[in-house]
Amino acid sequence: MKELVRLDNLWKVYPIGVDGVIALADINMSIHQGEYVAIMGPSGSGKSTMLNILGCLDRPTSGQYWLGGENAAVMSDSELSEVRNLRIGFVFQSFNLIPQLSLVENIEVPLFYQGVPRHHRHPRSRKLAQMVGLGDRLSHKPTELSGGQRQRVAVARALANDPLILLADEPTGNLDSRTSAEIMVLFDQLNRRGRTIILVTHEEDVAAHAHRVIRLRDGRIASDEFTDGRALA
Amino acid sequence: MKAIYKAGDIVLLGLHGVMVHKVRSALTVLGILFGVWSVIAMLAINAGASYESQMALRELGSNNIIINSVKPPTEQKASEGRSGHHGALIYGLTDNDVRRLRANIPGLQDSVVVHRAAKTATANDRRINVAVISTEPNYPRVVQTDITAGRFISSYDMLRYQPHAVLTQGLADKLFPLADPLGKTVALDGDPFIVIGIVRQLPATLAGTSQSAILIPISTDRAQFGEFNIEFSQGSITSEKVEVSQLILQMANDDGVLEGAAIARNLLRRFRESQDYDVTVPLELIEQKRKQMQLWNYMFVSIASVSLLVGGIGIMNIMLASVTERTREIGIRRALGAKRRDIVTQFLVESVTLTAIGGTLGIAIGLLVPWVVQKMLGFLTIVTPSTLFLPFIMAVVVGLVSGLYPATRAAKLDPIVALRHE
Repeated sequence: MKELVRLDNLWKVYPIGVDGVIALADINMSIHQGEYVAIMGPSGSGKSTMLNILGCLDRPTSGQYWLGGENAAVMSDSELSEVRNLRIGFVFQSFNLIPQLSLVENIEVPLFYQGVPRHHRHPRSRKLAQMVGLGDRLSHKPTELSGGQRQRVAVARALANDPLILLADEPTGNLDSRTSAEIMVLFDQLNRRGRTIILVTHEEDVAAHAHRVIRLRDGRIASDEFTDGRALA
Repeated sequence: MKAIYKAGDIVLLGLHGVMVHKVRSALTVLGILFGVWSVIAMLAINAGASYESQMALRELGSNNIIINSVKPPTEQKASEGRSGHHGALIYGLTDNDVRRLRANIPGLQDSVVVHRAAKTATANDRRINVAVISTEPNYPRVVQTDITAGRFISSYDMLRYQPHAVLTQGLADKLFPLADPLGKTVALDGDPFIVIGIVRQLPATLAGTSQSAILIPISTDRAQFGEFNIEFSQGSITSEKVEVSQLILQMANDDGVLEGAAIARNLLRRFRESQDYDVTVPLELIEQKRKQMQLWNYMFVSIASVSLLVGGIGIMNIMLASVTERTREIGIRRALGAKRRDIVTQFLVESVTLTAIGGTLGIAIGLLVPWVVQKMLGFLTIVTPSTLFLPFIMAVVVGLVSGLYPATRAAKLDPIVALRHE
């Protein structure tokens, strides 16, 4: 399978104090198309930093981040915005829907910033809403939806731009166990249809859905193994 | 093509932001509305005042130079005034001065001499104090008044010292309220004159204070009443000799006026022993007035602009609050691919929309208020397209400037931090 993500000698140091705080130290890894990866680790292990860099919200201090053949580590703010817009789908723990927009309008935000005209955006976001099972609530505002429904909208939004990778940050963190299970089923389905998914979580149950688990400790990769037991070459 | 769609959509997004916060938007709009409104009202009222004063001066004729004889101040009488027999006070322009001025001013088109005296007119058993204006046949043409009935003094009247008189409409109405005055007799200090014509009112600034004026040939005046004006007042007799009360020099065009006035002043300074004359140049006055009005205009507009500025600060305040309140939304939009300039555009559109709405409403009220002022207070107000356009443009610029800081602040937010914002 094609390599989508590669991190080469990646460091992230926050300029705090005299020496700075090392968040990620010399990370090397690669993720291929169609993989279902969970990134785990205790708090302070560098999970969030890793997610921000993978999501092109932040730049590494040194090293390279190859995303779909382009080095995101050297991109400008504007170029990073474009990469986020075209290549990445985000699902956040706290849903992060825009409260004054309807369900359909929320789903089409990434398309909006691509410059897709309204009459093309609407059919696509309706189709995505139907895919996540919310085809009957198109004009509802986020506040009129349950937590599980909101996270479905967020997943639909993350798929609107047909991203290279789907990045999920504790996607079930704000949900009860039943709705959590529903969301995870949704992720499993997406992965079966070929979507590359990277989950950041500290819940073993969630990580168990993934086919590969990368554990971070103190900014370094502590382990990287497939859940069927074979170690990564 | 996509860029156009995106730009259009972001503009719509900004408009949406205005619509969502109706009360807040309305209050912000008010600030701008008052600013624009006051600028327009100030400009319109000032333009009206300026126009009126300009018209009053234009009545004097912008191509005229008016020279009046001026009675020297009392304390100077003994020393400087030339005294004739009977202790009469002699001052003012003389026929010699008039001849000199007429001969030496280039570009002179026409000129007319006036001798003014106060007399009592009697007709129909009515007695009225009138201003007798003794003048020449070209007087109506120079001061631009119309003959409404009969005819004006002719050269023949001048040559033959005819006792003919022309009344102003106002005087005619007083002396002959019921009859046609033409052909009737009016006695001036007892001497009979035949009414040959009626003129529309004379320009107030030229006729002197009295609008009850009677015009007679200057030759007849001199032949009949002599050189001295004798006045009986408060038990004493004063006697004056003024050959010419007023000389109006009319230039062929406005361009020659200033040069002509300079020459006239020079000649008078050279040949008049004392400062017993006054040169009035309406063109100079018009120019002075225009400059003065412009100064007022600047002052008014800058005062009114302060309220526009206050409105602008209001907008900045609201937009800053809006940016803080919507930090999370900005973070989400940035995470999903909005560039910094997309965020800037969104917030700028919002503030410019607010000011544009305020500007439009301000224009509407700004149109209404001068109209009300004109109806209620009788001030002339003038609203020109630029009177409306200038404040509107000012308002939009205020919107841009005051929106710029909040918008760039929004755009500079770190998406990671913004996403965590509660």
